Amino acid sequence: MNTAEQLLLQHDSELLAARLPPLLLAAQRVAATVAQGVHGRRRVGQGETFWQFRQYEVGDSPQSIDWRRTAKSEGVYVRQMEWEAAQSVWLWRDSAPSMSWRSDKSLPLKRERAELLLLALSVLLLRAGERVALLGGERRPSGNKEAVSRLAAELLTDARPETDQGPAVGVPPEVLLPRFGQVILIGDFLAPLDEIEARICRFAARGLKGLVIQVLDPAEETLPYEGRVRFFGIAEESDWLVSRVDDVRHAYQERLAAQQAGLLEILQRVGWRTTFHRTDHPAQTALLAAYQALSAEEGLA
Amino acid sequence: MLSLGALAFASPWFLLGLPLLPLLYWLLRVTPPAPARVSFPAVRLLLGLHPQEETPARTPLWLVLLRIAIAALIILALARPLLNPSGLGSGNGPLLLVIDNGWTAARQWNSHVDEAERILAQAERSGRPVYLLTTAAADPGSGDELLEPLPAGQVRSRVSGLQPRPWAVDHVAAVARLASLDRGTQSIWLSDGLEHEGTDALVDRLMDIGGVTIFREEGTDLPRLVVAPESEGLVLRPTVTRAEGGPQEAATLLISGAGGEPIGALEVVFPAGETEAAGELRLPADLRNRISSIALEGESGAAARYLLDEAWRRRSVGIVAPGGSEAPQPLLSEVYYLQRALEPFNDMLRGDVDELLEQEISVVLLPDGSQLDAARLSTLEDWAEAGGMLVRFAGPALAEEADDLVPVQLRGGGRTLGGALTWDTPAQLSPFEDGSPFGGLAVTDEIAVTRQVLAEPTLDLPERTWAKLTDGTPIVTAEPRGEGWLVLFHTSANTEWSNLPLSGLFVEMLRRLVDLSQGVASIEEGGPPLVPLQVMDGFGRLSPALPSVLPIAPEDLVAGRFSPEHPPGLYGEEGASRALNIGDAENEMLPLGPLPARIQEENYRQTAETDLFAWLLLAALLIGLADFVLGLRLRGLGWRPEPASGSGSGAAATTALCLLALPLVALALWPTATKAADEDIVEALRETRFAYVITGVPAVDRMSEAGLTGLSRLLRQRTAIEPGDPQGVRLGRDELAFYPLLYWPISPEQRSLDTAARDALNDYLLYGGTILIDLREQSAAGRGLLGDRSQNGQALRRLTAGIDVPPLSPVPPDHVMTKAFYLLQDFPGRFDGGSLWVESPDRADNDGVASVIIGSNDWASAWAVDEYGIPLAAVVPGGERQREMAFRFGVNLAMYALTGNYKADQVHVPFILERLGQ
Repeated sequence: MNTAEQLLLQHDSELLAARLPPLLLAAQRVAATVAQGVHGRRRVGQGETFWQFRQYEVGDSPQSIDWRRTAKSEGVYVRQMEWEAAQSVWLWRDSAPSMSWRSDKSLPLKRERAELLLLALSVLLLRAGERVALLGGERRPSGNKEAVSRLAAELLTDARPETDQGPAVGVPPEVLLPRFGQVILIGDFLAPLDEIEARICRFAARGLKGLVIQVLDPAEETLPYEGRVRFFGIAEESDWLVSRVDDVRHAYQERLAAQQAGLLEILQRVGWRTTFHRTDHPAQTALLAAYQALSAEEGLA
Repeated sequence: MLSLGALAFASPWFLLGLPLLPLLYWLLRVTPPAPARVSFPAVRLLLGLHPQEETPARTPLWLVLLRIAIAALIILALARPLLNPSGLGSGNGPLLLVIDNGWTAARQWNSHVDEAERILAQAERSGRPVYLLTTAAADPGSGDELLEPLPAGQVRSRVSGLQPRPWAVDHVAAVARLASLDRGTQSIWLSDGLEHEGTDALVDRLMDIGGVTIFREEGTDLPRLVVAPESEGLVLRPTVTRAEGGPQEAATLLISGAGGEPIGALEVVFPAGETEAAGELRLPADLRNRISSIALEGESGAAARYLLDEAWRRRSVGIVAPGGSEAPQPLLSEVYYLQRALEPFNDMLRGDVDELLEQEISVVLLPDGSQLDAARLSTLEDWAEAGGMLVRFAGPALAEEADDLVPVQLRGGGRTLGGALTWDTPAQLSPFEDGSPFGGLAVTDEIAVTRQVLAEPTLDLPERTWAKLTDGTPIVTAEPRGEGWLVLFHTSANTEWSNLPLSGLFVEMLRRLVDLSQGVASIEEGGPPLVPLQVMDGFGRLSPALPSVLPIAPEDLVAGRFSPEHPPGLYGEEGASRALNIGDAENEMLPLGPLPARIQEENYRQTAETDLFAWLLLAALLIGLADFVLGLRLRGLGWRPEPASGSGSGAAATTALCLLALPLVALALWPTATKAADEDIVEALRETRFAYVITGVPAVDRMSEAGLTGLSRLLRQRTAIEPGDPQGVRLGRDELAFYPLLYWPISPEQRSLDTAARDALNDYLLYGGTILIDLREQSAAGRGLLGDRSQNGQALRRLTAGIDVPPLSPVPPDHVMTKAFYLLQDFPGRFDGGSLWVESPDRADNDGVASVIIGSNDWASAWAVDEYGIPLAAVVPGGERQREMAFRFGVNLAMYALTGNYKADQVHVPFILERLGQ
């Protein structure tokens, strides 16, 4: 593991996240967890928010008696709090070889941008007390301070191109997640739509909510080449000779738009949020969009 | 050969390839260029996409034209295009090349050789056999070259090695050698432009054989010759002649000394129509005497250089002093004053008249005391008439009875001025007149003449007077006698009659007289032949004579008869050599007259033909490189595809420039070497390091390194000194200033130090370095320090020769070395018992800190440990105590080298006293 690289990534993400307030997720339902958080679970439990008074019953701890309430009326009342829990978020970024590409040296790799966004989001989430984990990683969601550095380390060790066995197709792995969690998926989502749909529907079926960020290189959107070009896929995909790129540019852009529209349609169906991002745009805009999509606060939504 | 005006093609059939170019155009146009290669993640979206209209992909027109240009250039190059072709050497049948290579051809020799090579290049292309005839005789002894047909290439290599000869061409002999040649041979004659004996016959013979072309020098390109300069007194008149009285022309003569050092330059001008140019050179006598050659600037050749021999400069002065031996009271002797006056400037000879005249002598000084009889006087007179300069001095004898060998008639008796009983004061010299040889010398008031001989007043007395007194009476008179001079000083050569001989003016006057003398031709006709010392080659360079150069008879040398056996140069004995110059001979340079009309005349130095082969190929190569770069770019390699396609040619030009700049970049990388040296210095200074001298004996050097490593390790363990790894230094190569202590093991195999090494060591010692010199041998107790008998002792003497080693003494018991860290009284190493010698501590310089420490105990071996800390060598007689003491000595030594006499102070006195039990 390259510590310097990890620190750099971590630093960049902290820097990116520094300009936004903590990200408190808008969560109607929270994944079952015992961790203390801010998401009320609408039942009695441990928490800081008042939930109800109840008549004292044998077995209640005397300390839980609310003497003021008791003094107002007859009977002895016990004060009960709402069970507040933290939301667990599973983040994922596509580590397929096609992500390790850029059309120009001045641009970041798509994977780099994805990792930066992922870490910046985790920083914001952790600040709000949420718990984060890498989707497909080995760790359980955690909300302590070391979570970011652990996440960064995991990112860097996890998916350094092991080209032959790494996931070739940019779809999230099949993992059984607890119900009502949050998922954030970052990738180029150029894989066939049905594969993407199958995976996302599976997540949605378990009540998971999510956000998808599509990160694309500007060249993938504009196809800026000219003349006679032979295009090669990054991994094992076959190559394609185009005698005049100018002539196919329009058709290509239509196909890309169709891909994006299809993706959007799938996600809307399951009630997930989507943002699109190009690597030549600042990461800040993508982060802001994701923040707004995820945030619980109405003012920002 | 196909000729198109100024352009011709040597292999025109290659031009047939040009019509194929349109075919190439079609082929290139049809073949599509290779596509650019782009890796693209979203290729899945592209699969199956086709352009609506499939236009055939074609190589762009400009690229096709570029490639056609390459092909055209290569075809043109193969056809061997020649710019400004000359067809002289081409043709059929054998070719005769006649080259004048005497001294007359040396001036323009390079253009002659160039012309010959051009002609031979053409003959080579035409495959003609060539006869080569050089008209000057070959070196004697090498034999005549055979006149035989040779391939032109072989002749070419001979011609390029051809040199002009320092003797004349011989056209008579050339005609004789041509006798065997068949008719039908075209001849080309590279002539020197001069008419020689037999030239007409040669021209006729050549015309008999076949067609003739003559290259001739004309006008101001004809040879020039430096002839013998005329010398009149102090004036030297170098002269140059030319063959033809053309327009006004200037030439510069370089005057140089024996070592080639420049003495002066003189511009001479040929007036229009004249063939001779002379200049005047006035130089101080001692400078003039150093002149050894006069040469035409910018010209090489034996004729452009005139050598001046000893006869031109050395003036021997003889003093007639019968009896020979020193007078008992030299200050009264006339000879003494004369000798002291001229000794610094001239060879002085003393002796009888007969003895003197046997030598080569320019000036004879005849003091009054030398009482000659009439026969001797007439001998001297004859000598003076032959060109000698006789200088007499008056005195009592001459005043008593004047003889005839005087320039003016004298009155008997003489004249006394300023004596005790006269009213007169001593007379003074009046300023010299300009016409006198003494003109320009400053006269001082101090000179007083008390007695003189008087001349009879005659009509011609004023013109014979060179110097006179203030009252007008002559003090120096002179009369030309034949070729020479007779000069009389009317006062004595000692201080008896005047104080003139005490003055500097006397010296100056005598020197003027010596300069005025010509020097006498000393060569006796019919004498023994003079052996050659150095001879000139055709370019006027002096080199030792070959065995083929024969001794020359004196009369031939005087007449300047140079020949292949006697080339110009210096003959005779070392120190008394005589020069034989081309300019000494009777040389008549006649320009070549009008030639028969059948002869084709050409000039040298016409525009040379240029072979464009290499240039065209180079152009093709450059365009090819550009094409290669452009091709790469079209395929998307080397450059990123940019949305806005930049100008391709600009990028190609940049690349071409980059390629051209590569050698420059390589040059710019040179200074890395010095940077490395800087890094070495930084490395050497990073830590305190001890150094040892690399002796060149591997075993000794290894032991030195291991020893110092062991010592350094111990120092780190026990003391505050934390030395780095020891460093080996090569004396004289590596800087010593970085190292406080230098360990120098002596071994007999080490080579003696060179100057740089000695200087480095002396500097090191002078500026406070400390050297431990180790003889590495067991010394027998009682013998002196550096036993002469031991091998290493002798090596030490040899190696330290030239090094400023101060006086040494055995280490005194209270020396700082004994208490710098440990208290020690003896200093064992691998051996024990040898005494340690240091610079005497009472010396004031360097604060009394010894810079040289000499011992013989082989300390490095005692200190040496391997990487695990195990000692490498056993100590003798043995015991770890001895090794420990050796280490302690090392610690003390390091402390001493680093702290100097610090420990001599009182800092530790209490402890030391306590341990000493006092």
